[in-house]
Order: sequence, then C-alpha cells, then structure tokens
Amino acid sequence: MSELENVCKKEHFNKVYNDHSQAIWRFIYFKCGDQAQADDLVQESYVKLWQNCAKVSASKAKSYLYTVANNLFLNEVAHKKVVLQHANSKKKTFNNQSPEYLLEEKEFYEKLQAAIANLSETQRTPFLLNRIEGKKYSEIAEILGISVKAVEKRMSQALAILRKEIGNI
Amino acid sequence: MDKNYILHKYLNGNASPEELQLLKESPEYAGYFKIAAASENLDTPVFNKEGNFEHLTAKIDQSSKVRKISFVKSFVRIAAMVTILLGGYYFFFSGNTTVKTDVAHKESFSLPDKSEVVLNAQSEIFYDQKNWEKKRSLNLKGEAYFKVEKGEKFSVITPQGTVSVLGTQFNVFARDSTFVVKCFEGLVRVAFNDTLVNVPFGNVLEIRNNELIMKTELHQDSPNWVLNESRFQNASLATVLAELKRQYPVNITAPNVGDKKFTGAFTHTDLKVALRSICDPLKLDFTINGDEINLYAKQGK
Repeated sequence: MSELENVCKKEHFNKVYNDHSQAIWRFIYFKCGDQAQADDLVQESYVKLWQNCAKVSASKAKSYLYTVANNLFLNEVAHKKVVLQHANSKKKTFNNQSPEYLLEEKEFYEKLQAAIANLSETQRTPFLLNRIEGKKYSEIAEILGISVKAVEKRMSQALAILRKEIGNI
Repeated sequence: MDKNYILHKYLNGNASPEELQLLKESPEYAGYFKIAAASENLDTPVFNKEGNFEHLTAKIDQSSKVRKISFVKSFVRIAAMVTILLGGYYFFFSGNTTVKTDVAHKESFSLPDKSEVVLNAQSEIFYDQKNWEKKRSLNLKGEAYFKVEKGEKFSVITPQGTVSVLGTQFNVFARDSTFVVKCFEGLVRVAFNDTLVNVPFGNVLEIRNNELIMKTELHQDSPNWVLNESRFQNASLATVLAELKRQYPVNITAPNVGDKKFTGAFTHTDLKVALRSICDPLKLDFTINGDEINLYAKQGK
C-alpha cells in the first residue's frame, strides 16, 4: 500500500483494520476498562475513518484512528475500573520458585492490578501504553497529543503512586 | 548518574545492565523497577478482532447507504453554487470597456493599473478591463494623452499605427490620415506599417499621407489641449477649423478664404476669443448666428 493512497479501497481499509485495531482497542481499554465500550469505540473510529477515507491518507490513518478514538472516549461519561489479567505466557521465569515465593508473587500482582485500576486515567494510559504495549515515550506523546516531557512526568507520577499503594516491596 | 534519568531510560528500553544495577542499589528505585518490570507481564482481556470487524462492516454498510444520498445532494449543491458564481462573474466582469467623448467634451479617467488617460473631444477608447493586468493594450480613435504607470508593455492601437511604451507620458493624435505622437517623458516606440520608430522625450512624430516627419519642438509637460488650448504650427486652416469644430458644437462655413497657414493657439473655453485668435492673424472676420459661423476675408483697410 503506497503512502499517498487513501483507505477508500476495501483491501486498504481491511489492512488498516488488521494492523491497528487491536492496539486501538487496548488503548481504549487502558482508558475505560470496559470491553464493550472499547468494542464500540473501535467500531465507531473505523466507521469515521471509512466515511472520511478520501481525506485520510494511508500514512495518516493510524494517528487519525487514535485521535478519533480518544475524542469518542472523552465524549462518554461512564468509566469503569480497568481489570487486567496476568499474562501467563510471559512469566516462565518464575516457574521454578518455591511455593512461598509464588504466593508472594500472586499477592504482589493482585496488589499491582488493584493499584493500576486506581490510577487516574491520565496516568494509567501512558503507563500501560509503555509497559504493556512497549511504546516509547515519543510514540505515547504523539498518540496522546502531549509533550515527551509530560509523558515522563506522568510515568514518574504513576510509578510513585503504585509504589506507595503496594507498600513494602 | 541521575537515577531518575536511568529509570526513564529503562522505561524507554535503552538502559544498559550496568545502569540497571545502579538503579537497584536504591530501595526507592528498586521498587519502581520491580513495578515496571511486573507490569510488563500484565495484559488486557482479549480483543475479538473478527467479531468487531463484522459489526464494523454492518455499520459501514448502513452508513454508506445514507452517504450516497447526501453525496448526490452535495454534488447538486456544489454544481448550483458554481453556476451562480460563474454566471455572476461573467455578468460583472466580461466585455470590453468603452470610453467615448462627443464634441466639446473631454474625459479624464484611470485604467485598472492607475495609468491616466485624458481623452480629447470626439474620440473613443476601448479596452478589455478583465485582462488588463495580463495585457496592457487599448484601441484609440481620435486623440488622447497618456500617463503610463511603469510595468509591462503598454500598447495604443490605432487604425494608423501602434504606439507601445513601458512607462511614460505621451499624446496620440489619430484622425483621418494624420497620425501624430508627441512624447513628453521617456521613450515611445511607434509601429507604422512595417517600420519601427523610437520617439525620445521632447520629440514629435508626424505621419501625414504616409510620410514620416520627426520634429523636436516640445517644451511642455503635457499637450496644450489638456490645458484647454489647441496650438498649431504652420497648420492649414482646414486642420485648425476641424479642431475648432471638435471643441465647440458649431458648424463653420468658410467659402472664400483660400488656403492659409496658421501658427498660434485658440482656447476651448470661449468661442469668441477662439475665433478672434484664429481670424485676426489671418486677416479674416466672422459672424456668429446661433450654431452657424461664417468666415470671410476682411474688407478693405
């Protein structure tokens, strides 16, 4: 797909969906913690992209989707607590630990999840985009439309609050 | 090194193992590190890509039905707007502009580029106002005085020849077979048949019956007629009377006066004074009867 082409062609649109829909869904989920709402907003964002396909080039589609999704999210009032799950596939390193350690680990993750859920939206979204999605500060700054320095500040704030909430580590 | 700096470096995935070791030495930063590292193992619930795509396709199909109608509507709207705008544009801006003067009438006006034109009696100018910026060119019948703003080539097209300049002041007289160009400032180029003549400032180019005459005679800033006066040098009486008829709405009969040469001037503001200044040097007399003027040779003495 060429950089200059727009997404009015069905195959281009489908490619943009396959490439970015999951990242956008997770982005919204970090914000609202509601799967159904995230589903709705992802669909709405892509409908908007389709309606404005002539104006949005393929290279701009991704940032367009993030912006639209963010705006749609801000329009909705009700936010739920973010519920995250422990991704089992990623914690193989812990398999050979003692039962006490495993129990401690389990408690730690429960506390961590609760603390993350209690973060404010402005702190949680950049934090999870960085930690779970593995995005660099510069990418987060672009998605959220804030400066890199602001991302850094929110990351520091989030870590400080989480450490305080979880207590003695 | 600043631990806070290392922490953000680590979060951006750029920290070296040595730097991480440094970070773990402080209990505060070790805690941050543990939280940050553990958070990487968290994940959201699974996103149902296929299911959402089906919903999305359904929504798009719905909305595109609506869109088609509004597309036709907006097309019609745009078409109507374009029609009105184009129509209005041609209504207001198309066509040539014509300026015409009658007998005993002078007209002074500006062209779109602020060049000034003074049109003498019984003369006519027409030009394309719309394309003036692209092509400074006008057609002249009669006599006119131009003060041209500097810029692209400025052309005065007459039946006798074409006068072109860049920015200057000049007078063009183009009536019958006589064609006179007087240049008051700068340089004027005259195209007559296939000859090109440059007329520098202070010079006069005359073409009478296909003969070119170049004279140096101007000691003025603008032609006399602009100051309501006609001046002649060794001109035939017929020429003088023709000019007089253009400046005053009168009929002149001069049956038995012969072919006299006149050097001098007459005013445009007072008919009696004008007739007196023509007749006295030529030893003529005149009677005025309404619009009819009769010239005859002075009796006796």
